[in-house]
Amino acid sequence: MKIKLNVMKKIIFIFLSLIVAVSTVNAQKGINFNSIYAAGGKLLMHVDSGARNVFYAIGFPNQPRTSFNYLPDVNNVSISINFRKNINIQHYRYTILADNKPIALNKPINMTQLKDTHAGGDEEIFSSATLGIFPVKGKIITTLIYSIDKPQDIDKAVFYGKPIPSAKILSFSMLSKSDQIYSTSWVKDPKGSTNFTFTEKDLQLNIVKDKSDIDYLYYTSIKDKKNNKIIFESTTWRYGGIISEDHEQLPFIEIDKNIFKKSGEYEIIIQPSIKWTSCFDCDISPKETEKYVTRHTLFITLAEENYTKKELYSYALMGTFVIGLNFLLILNAIKRRNKKRLTVAEQQKNTAKLQLNSIRAQLNPHFLFNALSGIQNLMNKNEIDNANKYLSKFARLTRNVLDDKELISLSQEKTLLDDYLQMEQLRFGFKYEINCSENLDLDNVEIPSMLLQPFVENAVKHGISKKATDGIIVITFTKQANDLVLTVIDNGNGFDTEKKNNGLGLQLSNSRIALLNSIYKENRFTLAIQPSTSGSKISLTLTDWL
Amino acid sequence: MKAILIDDEISNLQNLRTLLEKHCPQVTIMATTQNIDDAVNIIEKYSPDLVFLDIQMGEQTGFDVLKLLPARNFEVIFVTAYDQYGIQAVKFAALDYLLKPIDIEELINAVNKAEHKLATQIQNLQLDFLLQQLKKPETNVSKIALQMQSEIRYVALSEIIRCEADNTYTRFFLSSNEKILVSKSLKEYADLLRPNGFLRTHQSHLINPKYVKSWLKEDGGILLLTSGEKIPVSKPNKGTVKQALQQL
Repeated sequence: MKIKLNVMKKIIFIFLSLIVAVSTVNAQKGINFNSIYAAGGKLLMHVDSGARNVFYAIGFPNQPRTSFNYLPDVNNVSISINFRKNINIQHYRYTILADNKPIALNKPINMTQLKDTHAGGDEEIFSSATLGIFPVKGKIITTLIYSIDKPQDIDKAVFYGKPIPSAKILSFSMLSKSDQIYSTSWVKDPKGSTNFTFTEKDLQLNIVKDKSDIDYLYYTSIKDKKNNKIIFESTTWRYGGIISEDHEQLPFIEIDKNIFKKSGEYEIIIQPSIKWTSCFDCDISPKETEKYVTRHTLFITLAEENYTKKELYSYALMGTFVIGLNFLLILNAIKRRNKKRLTVAEQQKNTAKLQLNSIRAQLNPHFLFNALSGIQNLMNKNEIDNANKYLSKFARLTRNVLDDKELISLSQEKTLLDDYLQMEQLRFGFKYEINCSENLDLDNVEIPSMLLQPFVENAVKHGISKKATDGIIVITFTKQANDLVLTVIDNGNGFDTEKKNNGLGLQLSNSRIALLNSIYKENRFTLAIQPSTSGSKISLTLTDWL
Repeated sequence: MKAILIDDEISNLQNLRTLLEKHCPQVTIMATTQNIDDAVNIIEKYSPDLVFLDIQMGEQTGFDVLKLLPARNFEVIFVTAYDQYGIQAVKFAALDYLLKPIDIEELINAVNKAEHKLATQIQNLQLDFLLQQLKKPETNVSKIALQMQSEIRYVALSEIIRCEADNTYTRFFLSSNEKILVSKSLKEYADLLRPNGFLRTHQSHLINPKYVKSWLKEDGGILLLTSGEKIPVSKPNKGTVKQALQQL
């Protein structure tokens, strides 16, 4: 004889008043009489051998005398009743219903059938009688047991052999109050999801369920889909007020609208109060249990959002943070943009200066080597003094080119041009003069170094190099109001300003003027070229330079 | 040798005359001129053996003088202060040039070479070659003149597999399996041929990337050429060589 001690102990532990008996009756109709389940109240049951998913003796809040046994896999159930020795068994009556139809009605216990039993491990001896073996597959067996001493205290046990139907939401109703008048609005036969807008006058939402014999089995919960928290739970169905077409009072639950703190998506879940994992040998998949569950989505819109203090604080904090962050970001962006603008400007200026330097350096090679060649000639002609003179002029010019000086005084520029023209004179033998206004402070007025040199070089190259000794170059430095005007005039053949590639020198000069204008923004450099058949005049105006 | 000097600057003419008289007694200066039109006339009049020709002459070039002449059976030594454009073509034609101020030794060398060439060849094809080169953009050169001991060879760049330094000489390896020894340094040819895609892989090696078969990883850097030769790639050149070969 095998007794499943674990099961037994569990039963005893949970239902203290329960008496467990071990039947010695031979196995009948395939029932496993070796294992006993508590069935609620004074009842025990045996079920088919090998039957799984026996959910036994489920109790309900506010229903102390109702027990529910869900036996989806069981074909037959044997029900026995067990009395303590001090109980007057003769006063007990029992009624058995199969699918609400009485099989036995107010029958007394058959005293002759009583046997002494005791629960496994328990010392106490009980008197036990079998109420019968009932086919339960697809049926509902209900037992009602009471003592004539207390006819109102009827212990009811349900042995549910049918599949438990899932609950059906018949309707929603909303209770509102305005100007002391209550009103109810209805949403009938809702499908899948329903939208509700709660205003200040709305009070509560009612959920109406279909009527069944086992309403007490279903409990309702509401889940906030945003955080998957259960915000409402109820096992209680109210009756009355709402009546079905066939005059039955329908079960409903009342939900205070204030449970909905926020607009959003909520879910109503109605399901049997059966813990699907809490039985001996449970084997029901979540997919299976989901069949018992009724779900309905609510989209709640609150006319006025409710906020908890905590939320308000956190929102305020978050708001401040976001604003602060934005402020910082904007500040940073402005700062960075300014910095970028500055660096860009700085970079442009630097590039311009570099370009200027490189152009300055580019001006000379042809002249330089020819000048050296000229000196070589003087040496070879044994004109040692002249060779010395020109060599030092050449050195002075080269030094100036190599010097990274940005500005030089007018007198320095004059000396350099003098040197340069004398070297060119050596090559081509023209005449030249350099004239300066008397009102110019030659020593203290500074101009970008090598400013006029390219124009002078051009005058030599294209102007008078072919005219030999007849050629004349005149250079003037003039003060005109606040402007400094520098001119180079030659009596050469002139040149065509339209012709773009009029020598490297002039092209470089144009880009040089553009570069200078980008560096000295406050002073504008303007270049005017007046060519004619009898020579050309170049004037460079440094606006507001003086 | 009958010589004519052409330069737009009188001092240069004077200088060159002084130097030639002093150091090159075999040269007889027939005439000098500062003017291109004059130059053509003088050359036709004197039929010189040697012409010293300034490249940059005001807004014209010494090349213009050559173009104006129907026949060019004389040697030319170019004289220039600073002229990238002309010099490149002159080098491709393996012609001689002097830089101002004039180096006396270079002058003597150039005159001697000219004398030698005059003795060995009748017509100066190099000048024709030069004028052809000048018509093309610099990077579109397809041939180069190689000055050998007693002749000038005109070699298509596509024929050149590689060049190898041999002291101050350069040995050219051609696709015809011919080898030509030229009395110029590899560096000069490296500079000259770089715009045409030639790669300096090593201190003593210049290669035509067309003839690269593969890059052998073993031993650091070695290029295998289609000719089967293995050419070393030195460390400092690895990067540029790799990059250049990837772009092919």
